[in-house]
Amino acid sequence: MFISKLNDISRRAFLKRSRNLACAGAATSYGMGLIATGEAAAFENISGYKALVCVFLDGGNDHANTLIPYDPINHAKYFNIRGNPVNGQRVAFDREELFQNLLKPKHDQTLTDGIEYALSPWMPRMKALFDRGMLAPLLNVGTLEAPITRSQFENGSQPRPAFLFSHNDQKATWMTSGSEGTRTGWGGRMADLAQTRNTNQMFTAINATGNGLFVQGERTAPFRVSDRGVTQFRGLQSGRLFGSSAASGVFDRLLRTPSASVLESDYATMNAESIEYGAFVEDALGNNRAQTDFGSDNELASQLEIVARLIRSRDALSVQRQVFFVSMRGFDTHTDLRDHSSLLGKVDFALDAFFKEISTMGLANQVTTFTASDFGRTLSLNGLGSDHGWGGHHLVLGGAVDGGKFYGKAPKVSLDSHDQVGRGRLLPSTSVDEYSTTLAKWFGVSSSNLQMVQPNIGRFAKPDLGFMSAG
Amino acid sequence: MRTESKADEQVILSEGQPTRRSLFSLTALSVSTATLAACGGGGGQSNPASAVAPSIGSQPPTDSGPGAPSNTEEVTKRSRAARFLHQASFSASLAEIDEVLEQGNEVWLDRKISEPISQTAREYFSSRGFDRVDTNNHFDRSQTADFMIFSQLLHGNNAVRKKFAFALSQFFVVSLEGLRLSWPAIAIGSYWDTLNEHAFGDFRELLEAITLNPAMATYLDTIGNQKADSQSMREPDENFAREVMQLFTIGVTELNMDGTPKIVGGRQVETYSNEDVQNLARCFTGYHFDYSGTGFDTYPNSTRQIETPDFVTVPITSDPRKWRKPQTASLHSPESKEFLNVSIPQNTSASETLCIALDALFKHPNVAPFFCKQMIQRLVTSNPSGAYVRRVARVFENNGNGKRGDLKAVFKAIILDDEARSDTMLTDENFGKLREPVLRFAQWARTFGATSSSDNWEIRSLSRSYDQLGQSPLRSPTVFNFFRPTFVANRSTASKNGLVAPEFELVNATSVAGYANFMEAIIEDRAFESRDIAAEYRHELPLAENPAELVEHLNLILTANQLSEGEKDGIREAIESVQISDSSDQEARLRRVRLAVFLVFMTTSYLIQR
Repeated sequence: MFISKLNDISRRAFLKRSRNLACAGAATSYGMGLIATGEAAAFENISGYKALVCVFLDGGNDHANTLIPYDPINHAKYFNIRGNPVNGQRVAFDREELFQNLLKPKHDQTLTDGIEYALSPWMPRMKALFDRGMLAPLLNVGTLEAPITRSQFENGSQPRPAFLFSHNDQKATWMTSGSEGTRTGWGGRMADLAQTRNTNQMFTAINATGNGLFVQGERTAPFRVSDRGVTQFRGLQSGRLFGSSAASGVFDRLLRTPSASVLESDYATMNAESIEYGAFVEDALGNNRAQTDFGSDNELASQLEIVARLIRSRDALSVQRQVFFVSMRGFDTHTDLRDHSSLLGKVDFALDAFFKEISTMGLANQVTTFTASDFGRTLSLNGLGSDHGWGGHHLVLGGAVDGGKFYGKAPKVSLDSHDQVGRGRLLPSTSVDEYSTTLAKWFGVSSSNLQMVQPNIGRFAKPDLGFMSAG
Repeated sequence: MRTESKADEQVILSEGQPTRRSLFSLTALSVSTATLAACGGGGGQSNPASAVAPSIGSQPPTDSGPGAPSNTEEVTKRSRAARFLHQASFSASLAEIDEVLEQGNEVWLDRKISEPISQTAREYFSSRGFDRVDTNNHFDRSQTADFMIFSQLLHGNNAVRKKFAFALSQFFVVSLEGLRLSWPAIAIGSYWDTLNEHAFGDFRELLEAITLNPAMATYLDTIGNQKADSQSMREPDENFAREVMQLFTIGVTELNMDGTPKIVGGRQVETYSNEDVQNLARCFTGYHFDYSGTGFDTYPNSTRQIETPDFVTVPITSDPRKWRKPQTASLHSPESKEFLNVSIPQNTSASETLCIALDALFKHPNVAPFFCKQMIQRLVTSNPSGAYVRRVARVFENNGNGKRGDLKAVFKAIILDDEARSDTMLTDENFGKLREPVLRFAQWARTFGATSSSDNWEIRSLSRSYDQLGQSPLRSPTVFNFFRPTFVANRSTASKNGLVAPEFELVNATSVAGYANFMEAIIEDRAFESRDIAAEYRHELPLAENPAELVEHLNLILTANQLSEGEKDGIREAIESVQISDSSDQEARLRRVRLAVFLVFMTTSYLIQR
């Protein structure tokens, strides 16, 4: 039951107060840099709504069973490595299973060793979106400090990311382009620059899962939603606590009580944020419901459904630029890659439902969804599972994506070629930095400010990989 | 916790006429024991100089009845005892506070540590038939594991041991989320029993016990892990090898004894390479469940044969004759293994290899600071000083009798350290930690005598953050625990002060309200869990007509007298807003108590344990 409809006066007061809250704490050098940049210059003067949605495949997606070699020569290499039955079970798909999802680029495209790829048989919807030109696979992208070759990796002459192959560290590095302990993610840094486009800056970054490091900025704190939307304090919302309205008033005061203790203050601040913003978002969401079936028992679809509902309420939220973070667990497939197939099936369903829903709002060209993950995995197996790797393949989806073709450089199907560090752990040929600045440019970050999003971007060849069409 | 004085109060309560007498008798008791304590000497109170009037607890008790504490020193002593109990255990009852004051911290701790284990998961399951093959399909379900762990955290003896075991369960993480084997509840129950059994034992033995535990071996894929096979291009699974180093022993960077990373040439030094991981992975090959004691039972009204749960309760084995499909050939990697400056020659047996590998990890200089710092974070404060970490790490390295890895000594060193005990830390704005949601819930249940009407403690996972705790024991989302030891929310004051605040990884706009709503429902006795679990508030109901006393009482037992004056005033005001119409109005009394308890659980002074 939702009671606290804000009237116009209190809403105006709320907006003013919240803006101040959102702008507090820019005292770091990066924050000062933001101010020096000037709010107008930070962002291209583009009108209209745009959103980026990061879909994190938690645990390290097995890219080799996501985009699978199809042409006879490369498929045979793949099958030789992954096709051996274990206890009567097999991880590799045969060509007949893959035929339906063969990705034929819309224009001729010749990849490494003439490789042709099929999407996992469990991803027919993404195959259809590829054919419609809405989906672009980006090959072998991963964390890098600078471009690096196999020999540079081995002789240590070029810096490489710290703590490779470790979940939490590489996850953090994917999200931040720093190591675990870096406090801002590149989604958050984009939000920092985009904030000024939004009347309600605190809804620039929305986190629907986990700790949301990806959408932490210097000035941006992600607002957390669950797949149910927002959660409000019942004892405040109803105006009564254990039957007493006076107690409800005390409750409100206690929740926000400031303290000399740092941790107490931080908790009180979060209470205040939940109280202040929760009611507003609930109000903005109103009764809007998704028009597409998002299914059930699919955590990614549930998160994308609330993201879609928030996007539908973008005017009530008074936002023009938003970055969202959602995730799906279970990709650490050491034990059995057959689990991976059903996960991809869920990803396929969820991304397709989300794209349909966005399309019903007429926003297909204005919302871009992309995948990220801890790392790729080994091509070699440990039985029925695979181990932690480095580079991997990712998918970008949206009406503004120049899809229907591949980007990046295809790796060889091998366990020891020069484009990997052994067992099929791919040496990334495209950096996460390039991936992110391509998205940032589309989002509206001006070319001169891409360094604010990715400080190391100058070390890489392509700040724009070309998979997003202009505007 | 059962108390001596309980019988008296029960009589008073049953008359339906609670009077202040019960409080007087309790306070009288506390004074007399406190007098005794003055002779006994407080074993762990190492900072007598700060005994005088700290910033907290300076409010004189409002009760001036016979024998009531009459000076701030008395209040301070009781605050300290409560604070000690909150760190060492799950909760602090008046009786326990008296016990601690009477015995002194260290004696009390020693007694609790040596208390025999009175509750095991194994006994929980077997006495209820949850380990039988029947139409409840226990072999396929994990729900009884949730019941089991709540039965242990929310009630029963061995609270000190369990508190440490719970901390260990967040260091050596196995989770029901993603634990796929038959009899998952029995398996994780056996894991919990292992942690409990070794909690005050030897780190090296604990390390081996968890390595060979069937739940861990399933969770991190030691089960079925095999030597490399060039024909099928198979390689050993690296999962356990990686995580046993990264999370369970040495961590990813070389550490100083004070827990800070060593910096060489401006960079941290990685403790191991991927080569080390690949070589260590060979050490954990060739193991499978030990089926030698496992039989089959027939599923009711069918011919279906279900294996009995024995194999998930005994260590896994490298003896292939004991496997489900017995064979003579070992699947252990015969190659040599080179890692962390250790070299294990080729054709060394699986068990000998394991021994050498675990010894090497155990002896690594990182283990002491890596493990001890995280245990301090779980029990006392998120940001211990380097000196505190070093003191505890030294005890890990040598318990005083030349023994390394004595967990009892480590636990005592953490709890009895000056930095944990000293009143001066209470005025340090950076000190303390956020109480974990599960520990708040356990504290509520234990403090107010919650009981389970089924005696099964039928509480399911409480992992949802929008209407539950956002945390459930033995249900970490991944092997990386509910939160990382280095987490701090960006833009927080903690971050600006250069602090970490691990438990805050669970704190967001959704979860703070979800927690409040869950506690409100639990305390109001209308939560889903309330069908089975309810609290009695035996000590609190007699205080319902005296809001100030009620607040002071809750302040002591829940927060060690750390509520601010403003918080106390507010809670009093709220209590007074609930009218008690006449002396028979029990409903209003209960409502007052519940409201007061709820509000204390919402204050930041409570939420941050200092």
